[in-house]
Amino acid sequence: MKKYVYFLLVVVFIFILTGCSGSKQKLYIFNWSYYIPDEVIENFEKDFNVDVVYDVFSSNEEMFAKLKSGGTGYDIVFPSGDYASIMINLGMVEPIDLNNIPNYKYLDKSVLQKITFDTQSNYSIPYMMGGTGIAVNTKYVKNYEKDWNIFLDENLKNKMTLLDDMREVFGIALKQLGYSVNTKNTDELNEAKDLIMKWKKNILKFDAESFAKGFAAEEFYVVHGYAENIFLELEDKSNVDFFMPEIGGPMYVDTMMILKGSKNKELAEKFINYIHDPKVYAQIVDYLGLPSINTEARNLRTTVPYYTIDDLKNSEFKEDLGDFLSVYNKLWQEIRVEN
Amino acid sequence: MTVSLWRSSRMKVNYGTKYSLPMLIWLTLLFIVPSAIIIMFSFMEKNQYGGVNPVFSLQAFKDLMNSAYFKILLNTIYIAVMSTIFTLLLALPSAYYMARSKYKSFLMLLIIIPFWTNFLIRVYAWIAVLGNNGFINQFLLKTGLIKDYIGMLYNNNAVILVMVYTYLPYAILPLYAIIEKFDFSLLEAARDLGASKSQSVFRILIPNIKSGIITSLLFTFIPAFGNYAIPQIIGDKNTNMLGTVIARELTTGRNWPLASAISMLLTLVTVIGVLVFTSKQKNIKKVI
Repeated sequence: MKKYVYFLLVVVFIFILTGCSGSKQKLYIFNWSYYIPDEVIENFEKDFNVDVVYDVFSSNEEMFAKLKSGGTGYDIVFPSGDYASIMINLGMVEPIDLNNIPNYKYLDKSVLQKITFDTQSNYSIPYMMGGTGIAVNTKYVKNYEKDWNIFLDENLKNKMTLLDDMREVFGIALKQLGYSVNTKNTDELNEAKDLIMKWKKNILKFDAESFAKGFAAEEFYVVHGYAENIFLELEDKSNVDFFMPEIGGPMYVDTMMILKGSKNKELAEKFINYIHDPKVYAQIVDYLGLPSINTEARNLRTTVPYYTIDDLKNSEFKEDLGDFLSVYNKLWQEIRVEN
Repeated sequence: MTVSLWRSSRMKVNYGTKYSLPMLIWLTLLFIVPSAIIIMFSFMEKNQYGGVNPVFSLQAFKDLMNSAYFKILLNTIYIAVMSTIFTLLLALPSAYYMARSKYKSFLMLLIIIPFWTNFLIRVYAWIAVLGNNGFINQFLLKTGLIKDYIGMLYNNNAVILVMVYTYLPYAILPLYAIIEKFDFSLLEAARDLGASKSQSVFRILIPNIKSGIITSLLFTFIPAFGNYAIPQIIGDKNTNMLGTVIARELTTGRNWPLASAISMLLTLVTVIGVLVFTSKQKNIKKVI
């Protein structure tokens, strides 16, 4: 009897081991959820005869915490600018050889100029640029101002949500008051806190998980969030007004980086280059509905983006705040607890 | 060979340690080591990019001495205690009915069926029922009984409701197991000897199923106290529970020592609660 058990165990082990190590080369990608359409990954697998192992995260902090607590083995990660700069400073990433990324030439120069953390793209290739905005359900909400202070409107009390994201919410409050989204001035931050407390009176909740689902289910009429999340959930897009206030807000650039210790650096560079192939990139922005930072893909895309690069003209990139983050954190904690 | 060994006098050798070894390894790897890491982290200095610097520091506990966390702790205890009370009030009669019913196995199946669906989906289902645009509100709006929706979800009471719903099966099962073994003729004997209906329940039934009640209490209170998902989805802007704060400090706050310290606080309160209840249980046994 024992022998049979051993035999079975051995069989299972062989099965597991061989099942894991197929002959094809594997590329390990760690990306935001719903950020690349499945077909793009499938086509890459076919064209290069490789397997892609794809894991997802829902926030930079989650991604970073996982990498810091020993989550290694990924080849490519997609951090936003502030985290890209942290990862460069901490030496967590490999330099990228731009000679292996010929499609880099299609990237919009005006976008590249705004990047301060890696001016020469030594470590990071921009993937997507965007910002948060406000989605309004026009079936129920007729009169509103296209402004961050829509959250002051008492007629919409308990029908609105703000993101559960400290930097985003402070960012829009700071911009509304005319300050920088990366301010390190405590007085300005306290002023922003007061404004957020006024908004808090009218919102239903701080929500970064289900604002899009809730908006689509008409649970909330006005939500602060990312356009691509919101439109992905919507079947009927006719009653939605998504806008970015004229005054601007915080914006982000998500980048592709190769992690230190990557076993497939060459393949990783091929993947990055593949993403910026205008035809592929057009497919991605069509799926996401975001503005294209790839100039050639702009001519190939078949859909109109939910907002344009021009809508972001007054917005500012979120930068890493270093130690000063604890001040934001303390004020955010107060906002969450006080009434 | 093995058979003869079994029959020989060596059978009396104590195999306890050997047999409990897998459990010991399991507990060490998955409970003691992680807890030790959390305790260590709470006494270290935070790294500005998340993680910790291996330097001794009491900063996390100084941060914890803040009225905000005290408020959150009280709110967490309030939600967990209320959820436990309501769960038990519903679980006791249900378990009693099940134990006395002819259709025990069918009723048991009904209790188990919800486990076939993912917990998060069941939480979201409440939004479809009680949400602002949920089934009930839509019905009331269509029949003209209300003009604008009623905000039933997104508050502390809704969090308690969904907690009761989630943990009810965990409370019913241990109660059912013990009530089923209870000798119901004891109740008849009590009535024969002149006890009123309520006297026979409170002086005969309840003391005899006390261990089941305590198990149900713990099965409800512990997960409710450390819950993260339900307050996050069903709560509103003012729903703060320790579980949600730990997640916030670990991620956007990048303050791992503080998250660890809060986590220790949570474990401590839970352990104290368990000790209080289990020590009571021992006293009861002595009395009997």
